[in-house]
Amino acid sequence: MNQKATHQFTITANDRLGSLERILRVVRHRGGHIEQMQMQSIDNQLFTLTLTLTTERTLSSLQNQITKLEDVITLE
Amino acid sequence: MLGTQWIVKTLKEKGITTVFGYPGGQIMPLYDALYDGGIEHVLCRHEQGAAMAAIGYARATGKIGVCIATSGPGATNIITGLADALIDSVPVIALTGQVPTTLIGTDAFQEVDVLGLSLACTKHSYLINDATQLPNTLQEAFNLANSGRPGPILIDIPKDIQLADHDYQAYLTPSTIKTPSDNTQQYPILLDEIKQAQQMISQAQKPILYIGGGVGLSGAINELREFMTLTQIPSVSTLKGLGVADLNNPYYLGLIGMHGAKAANLAVQECDLLIALGVRFDDRVTGKLNEFAKHAKVIHVDIDQSEINKLRQTHLGLQGDIKHVLPLLNQTVSIADWHNKIKQLKAQHPTRYDHPGEAIYAPALLKRISERKPTNTVITTDVGQHQMWTAQHMSFTHPQNFITSSGLGTMGFGLPAAVGAQMSRPNDMVICVSGDGSFMMNVQELTTIKRKKLPIKIVLIDNQRLGMVRQWQELFFNERYSETNLSDNPDFLMLAKAFDIPGQSISKKAEIEPALDNLFNSSGAYLLHVCIDELENVWPLVPPGAANENMLDKSNKE
Repeated sequence: MNQKATHQFTITANDRLGSLERILRVVRHRGGHIEQMQMQSIDNQLFTLTLTLTTERTLSSLQNQITKLEDVITLE
Repeated sequence: MLGTQWIVKTLKEKGITTVFGYPGGQIMPLYDALYDGGIEHVLCRHEQGAAMAAIGYARATGKIGVCIATSGPGATNIITGLADALIDSVPVIALTGQVPTTLIGTDAFQEVDVLGLSLACTKHSYLINDATQLPNTLQEAFNLANSGRPGPILIDIPKDIQLADHDYQAYLTPSTIKTPSDNTQQYPILLDEIKQAQQMISQAQKPILYIGGGVGLSGAINELREFMTLTQIPSVSTLKGLGVADLNNPYYLGLIGMHGAKAANLAVQECDLLIALGVRFDDRVTGKLNEFAKHAKVIHVDIDQSEINKLRQTHLGLQGDIKHVLPLLNQTVSIADWHNKIKQLKAQHPTRYDHPGEAIYAPALLKRISERKPTNTVITTDVGQHQMWTAQHMSFTHPQNFITSSGLGTMGFGLPAAVGAQMSRPNDMVICVSGDGSFMMNVQELTTIKRKKLPIKIVLIDNQRLGMVRQWQELFFNERYSETNLSDNPDFLMLAKAFDIPGQSISKKAEIEPALDNLFNSSGAYLLHVCIDELENVWPLVPPGAANENMLDKSNKE
């Protein structure tokens, strides 16, 4: 069985209603599979979200879809 | 000031003069503010109609369309409209009532998680749980709807927030107030990339311009036409790109894709450079993706970085506003052989309107309407065969004159979109071309037409079938006509009459001209009911999964 490559994203976003769900929805809908995640709120204003995921599509495509979300500030 | 009064004040400051909606329990405070608030409210008869009317309003003008619904079912009913606006990049703001903040999450009457529902069908959305957020959220929503790639924004507003009394001005951050021109995001133009693009264009032997809806959204119609004139590079258009190109350019080939012009598809398949402008490489355009323009290098210009390399790997992706980028690519090219080939393709694959028998041939009818309509007429359509015939056989001089649900393919779109278009352009003729399947999906909006006395012309092409599905059943499902027979349709003339809309029914070619006289000479709304043969199909056609060069002119049976 082929082992899919795992990738790690660290996302900083505004901690607003729905913003975490919105990111996770985009990952799921655009073909990503989350294997591990950690979220840390920063003063209820921002959060950092670290995702370990696999995808069968191009990674840059998924990155672009996440980056264009209004509440996402950075993705590394 | 109440929250709702602040909302109305903000709408007016943003230039909103007309909104579309339907009242209900949790949005009643906003309707109370609208009662004498100085904004025209158009009561649609279903929230879906209100959302699609807001889309029609926006697409006919480029302005932001606003729709309003109550909580629960009111909000769920606008979801299809928002999804439509998202995929077609339409600036719409939806305001929904929500149960009071203390009841959220308790399964209250008419409560549904609207923010959750909105995530997949909006560019961005908000649930306001603190009244002091209202001023900045409204500003942000207006900024977002029409900036970058436009799209729908939803603001869910609990009833207690609507009724909260505050000095809202004190909570407004001045820097959030932006004008539309402030929202024209500037994208850095990288000179190296421009030089590379220029080089690719100058070296190409068989370039093609692939024109999408983004060109019109960018306001780059003049720039595009100038580019076409100067370079004489042949061009093709997507469904949403129709109306952008200079129709008099001899190398414009028209619509591409599943029901595109055969010459357009063949040219794209043969090209060596595809200059893609504001397009999505939609599957209805590309056919079999890895066979699409397979000899071509691709330059893709789009304001949305996520569209570049999404489906087709580009050789050069330029994120930016087409209006600013395109003039930098202007140059003369020497492609005489390619021009000859394009002329040859056009000559080999002409559009034919000669059709045997007395029955009305819908493409010929639509071509005739196109020839007779005033220049600035807005055409809206529903979805199906009539939509494709309209795209193939009618001509448009501006993308705001052709409003069709392109990406989502939403049946029931045409009538409410016509309502919105007519409200925004009262001095222009609006014609809704519909089919008997689609028409019934938002037929309640005939009441809105009656209520507002809108002079909308409806051309209802009736084959007593769910025509496009029937066509696929015939061609690809062994003629197993599952649930596509609509021969029990209502009497459409009688139906229209119930809404004080006169009309006539025709079924023969000889009746067309007098009927069009009646349609164009009518001062108010009018229904032209056109009976056509149920077996007529839309041709040409790229079969599902096939490459575009394998498009069929007709099936073997015809």
